[in-house]
Amino acid sequence: MSMMHNVSRAVHDRVNPAVVKTMYCNCEGAVNALAINRDSSLAVVAGRNVFKIFGIEDERFEEKMNLRVGRNVNLNFSASDVTWNQNDDNILASAATNGSVVVWDINRTTKSKQDYVFTDHNRTVNRVRFHENEVNLLLSGSQDGSMKLFDVRKRTVTTTFVSGSSVRDVQFCPSVFSYFHFAAADENGNIQIWDMRQPDRVQKQITAHSGPVFSIDWHPEDRNWIGTAGRDKSIKVWDLQRNKLLYTIHTVASVMRIRWRPQRRYHIASSSLLVDFSINIWNIQRPYIPFASFEEHKDVTTDIVWKKEDPHMFYSCSKDCTLYQHVFKDAKRPADHVTPSGIDMNLDYTVSHAHGERTLSTDKHSSGKLSIFHKKPSRSDHFTQAYSTLHVHNCNKHETSLSMDWFRDSAQRYLLKGFSLDKLCEQNAQVAESQGRYQVAQSWRMLMVLYSQSLYTAPQFRTLSMGSNSSEKTDADKGKKDAQKSDHQDSGNNEITSGSDDDSDKEIIKENLSSIARGQPSTEWDILFDQDQLTYDSLGDFDKGLQELTLPNEAFVPRHEIKEHPNPLDSMPNGHDSPTSANESEGNMQNLQHSSRSNVDEEVLVTFSNDMNVPNLGFSNHVVDMLYFYAEQGDVQTPVCMLLVLGQKNRPQIDIATQENWFMSYIDLLGRFKLWTISNDVIKMSYLPQISMMNQQSTRIPLHCSTCNKVLSRVGWLCDRCKTVINTCALCHHPVKGQYLWCQGCSHGGHLQHMSDWFSSRKFCPAGCGHMCEFT
Amino acid sequence: MFVTRHIPAEHKDLIHDVSYDFHGNRMATCSSDQTVKVWDLGEDGQWNCTASWRTHSGSVWRVTWAHPEFGQVIATCSFDRTAAVWEEIIGEYGKGNQSNWVKRSSLVDSRTSVTDVKFAPKHLGLQLATCSADGTVRIYEAPDVMNLSQWSLQNDIQTKLSCSCLSWNMSRMHPPMIAVGSDDASPSGGGKVQIYEYNDKTRKWVKVETINIVTDPVHDIAFAPNLGRSYHLLAVASKDLKVISLTPLSTRDAPLAANQVNSNKFTIKRVAEFTDHESEVWRICWNVIGTVLASSGDDGCVRLWKGKPFTITSK
Repeated sequence: MSMMHNVSRAVHDRVNPAVVKTMYCNCEGAVNALAINRDSSLAVVAGRNVFKIFGIEDERFEEKMNLRVGRNVNLNFSASDVTWNQNDDNILASAATNGSVVVWDINRTTKSKQDYVFTDHNRTVNRVRFHENEVNLLLSGSQDGSMKLFDVRKRTVTTTFVSGSSVRDVQFCPSVFSYFHFAAADENGNIQIWDMRQPDRVQKQITAHSGPVFSIDWHPEDRNWIGTAGRDKSIKVWDLQRNKLLYTIHTVASVMRIRWRPQRRYHIASSSLLVDFSINIWNIQRPYIPFASFEEHKDVTTDIVWKKEDPHMFYSCSKDCTLYQHVFKDAKRPADHVTPSGIDMNLDYTVSHAHGERTLSTDKHSSGKLSIFHKKPSRSDHFTQAYSTLHVHNCNKHETSLSMDWFRDSAQRYLLKGFSLDKLCEQNAQVAESQGRYQVAQSWRMLMVLYSQSLYTAPQFRTLSMGSNSSEKTDADKGKKDAQKSDHQDSGNNEITSGSDDDSDKEIIKENLSSIARGQPSTEWDILFDQDQLTYDSLGDFDKGLQELTLPNEAFVPRHEIKEHPNPLDSMPNGHDSPTSANESEGNMQNLQHSSRSNVDEEVLVTFSNDMNVPNLGFSNHVVDMLYFYAEQGDVQTPVCMLLVLGQKNRPQIDIATQENWFMSYIDLLGRFKLWTISNDVIKMSYLPQISMMNQQSTRIPLHCSTCNKVLSRVGWLCDRCKTVINTCALCHHPVKGQYLWCQGCSHGGHLQHMSDWFSSRKFCPAGCGHMCEFT
Repeated sequence: MFVTRHIPAEHKDLIHDVSYDFHGNRMATCSSDQTVKVWDLGEDGQWNCTASWRTHSGSVWRVTWAHPEFGQVIATCSFDRTAAVWEEIIGEYGKGNQSNWVKRSSLVDSRTSVTDVKFAPKHLGLQLATCSADGTVRIYEAPDVMNLSQWSLQNDIQTKLSCSCLSWNMSRMHPPMIAVGSDDASPSGGGKVQIYEYNDKTRKWVKVETINIVTDPVHDIAFAPNLGRSYHLLAVASKDLKVISLTPLSTRDAPLAANQVNSNKFTIKRVAEFTDHESEVWRICWNVIGTVLASSGDDGCVRLWKGKPFTITSK
């Protein structure tokens, strides 16, 4: 949007002569009012301590005259308003806070230019205006509730108009429309239209604002339009013919001044009474964002005057003691900087998007140099036609890459307790697999393999082998998937798994070597495993035999030293490649020894699975890595569920704060998906005190004694203060310690059994109160 | 792939912000026409406007929902130099099934346009951050979560750059952190994104980083939901779209305590940068788990970005 505006600005502002520029001068005093003479060559500024005339040059303001001079500088020299006679360049009039209206003649030869002082008002005069055509007619509006028409030459008051309340502004109707009419604004929020010839009655009165009206301005082109502004922070445009409110602009602060922009039908300038120091030019057709704004002043802008018949220049004065000439090309365009767009995405990737529309052709590629020759829509047209469209993009259910269904599904279907670790892992792996999250499925299976506790029974072992088979299948699937869409996650998965495999291999080697150094009989595991692999197929027939096999206790005993050895299954896929040659012979010997001691091959399997029962630090590092890996991806569900499934015994060492963070995040997420039951399950299952505390809060409901209203601290049926047994049964008169049934109508009740017995045959309250209790 | 539905928003001027509530079943829009509208997702999957009211006396830049634990509460900020907190009155329905929202508080400390307002993550209680065009970031807190009309100004931070947007870090592990973006146009002004962190000891917010990667005016900024991550992802919308990762220098092997003084150093890395909008990027948002980023640009397109090698998945 900004771009197109820049282009059109260049076109639109071309009419502006290049010589004029924004300039200012310091008036050495806070300025209340400003007026310029007929040919815009001189400007007068007036304030409490300043009354000066400046010449408006091309490059700067030049001080021509200081009117605040003389022997007796009194309140008559402090002006709240000033006006320049448009027919006689030498005559000025100012309104003073003491109620005087002072006429100045700058042609006087004396030092003081004061010509005459009218003292007919008894309170502050808020506004003075010369008539546009009548050289001698001066109109004033005062706080005392009256307006007076002065004849400057005769030095008399011709007419007095009485308004209901203090007059804040008076403005003559542009003489092209009416010679005799003027408008007045008062503190009660009314605007009045007067005819000078009829001082006895007001022509028209409109209640325009709630609160004082500070400024009114007749539209320079439309005879029926008048703008009003007031303390209620609004600018309004009225059609006087039809008594109708046409436009309203709500601004941020009380409005001090409004001035229609010449030759721009819909533009009006405004300044604020407080808070906001800038001058805003509004297009009344778009009442929300200023069309242009000028932010040069550092204090409240007190008056605005447009250069005659020039929409590109205006003058302003301010409490910050400056007089400014503003040039439109230096204006700020607030609309160019607003964000034309809003976007948000909810849980299911439903994206709602609001965007500012451009109704006019704005192809930025074609609007380069050529645009000057095309008739471009004016900036103003662009400006007023701003609107936004709101679209909601619903994500298609089939778009699996953009769906949180897996999260809901997993949260609901994951088994976290109640079964053996194997069962849980297998189930969860299947859940993950059914969602196409093969990596997660694989991880669950790895956990199962790593921590399985029941490998020594053959059927379980079968399951294991099936598990690994299916995970191989998964790998194949994955490969296919990779080929299809080369999903980064899957490839990452491959990397990760293979990476960790390598790691574990290395580690095993290290372990092996160190074990050898310690002289422990350790290194046969790889080889053993090899043998397992080799023998396993052939072992298939032995299934029955294995099942029935009762294990000799001795087989376990010598294995105790090998507790800390890495799990051979870690290296399962790469078992063959393990460089174990160095200790092969020794291992073989060991193996031989073992074999000789335990005469069947199956024995080897058994010892191997026995080793699995013992928590094994060698791989818990990798499990930690894996949990972190998922957490780093933003999938907090997987590590939390894995932690829960692993349980107390197998839980890897992770910083408690991190675990808490994962749990809290997961619980938050579940809440977000409104899966409160599951979230509560997780809280319940959690082993972290910080988490499990969460549903221990606000679970206490204090009971109060029915007679003294004291909280029952000890038991629910005896009040410690009044020593009375409360909640007695209406039938047996014993205290009710269990379930208490009572009627909400008469509040009598008692033991559940007694009550149901009673009401099985009767309708009325057992206490004898006569209430017909409803027992259902 | 996406089913797009047009909603007659009937805002009379530009819409500046759209915001879903915590569960994604309600939506609020705000506009220059000084109104906010609340939309509810009906049983039939249609969005129905259930409230529309004038909130400010100037353009409303942003609207944001509080965590539902605190009630149905939204905050707005405006050109009129104020931010406001609104609460829905349950059970009072006006004509046409319109719900009733009342102003609970007006935050009037700013001297210039308030450009963004955001609620803190739930674990920090009921806190609100605002930033304004004169470069002040203010942190408010409602000491009593039951009383939404009382907000105390906890801190104000002078950023020295005109602020356009801010974002809270959602992490529970890290001390409270805010990223502030500036729309300051001068390229010489240096980094336009500043990171502030709350120091528990001094009870003050201190600047910990200026992200010098971003020197263009910033329109929007958003931390990804942290969940379990050890690093923070920050998306920045300016002339283009950037994703920046902030990794605390202490790793998980030496977990940092929340009150550790030297915890405020990060490795800052540009993770991704997209210029596909070929224009200003105005607004951005993350999905709930911080894996997908949506952006809206001056070209009128919505783009979704995903994964490590971020790719366009939708237009």
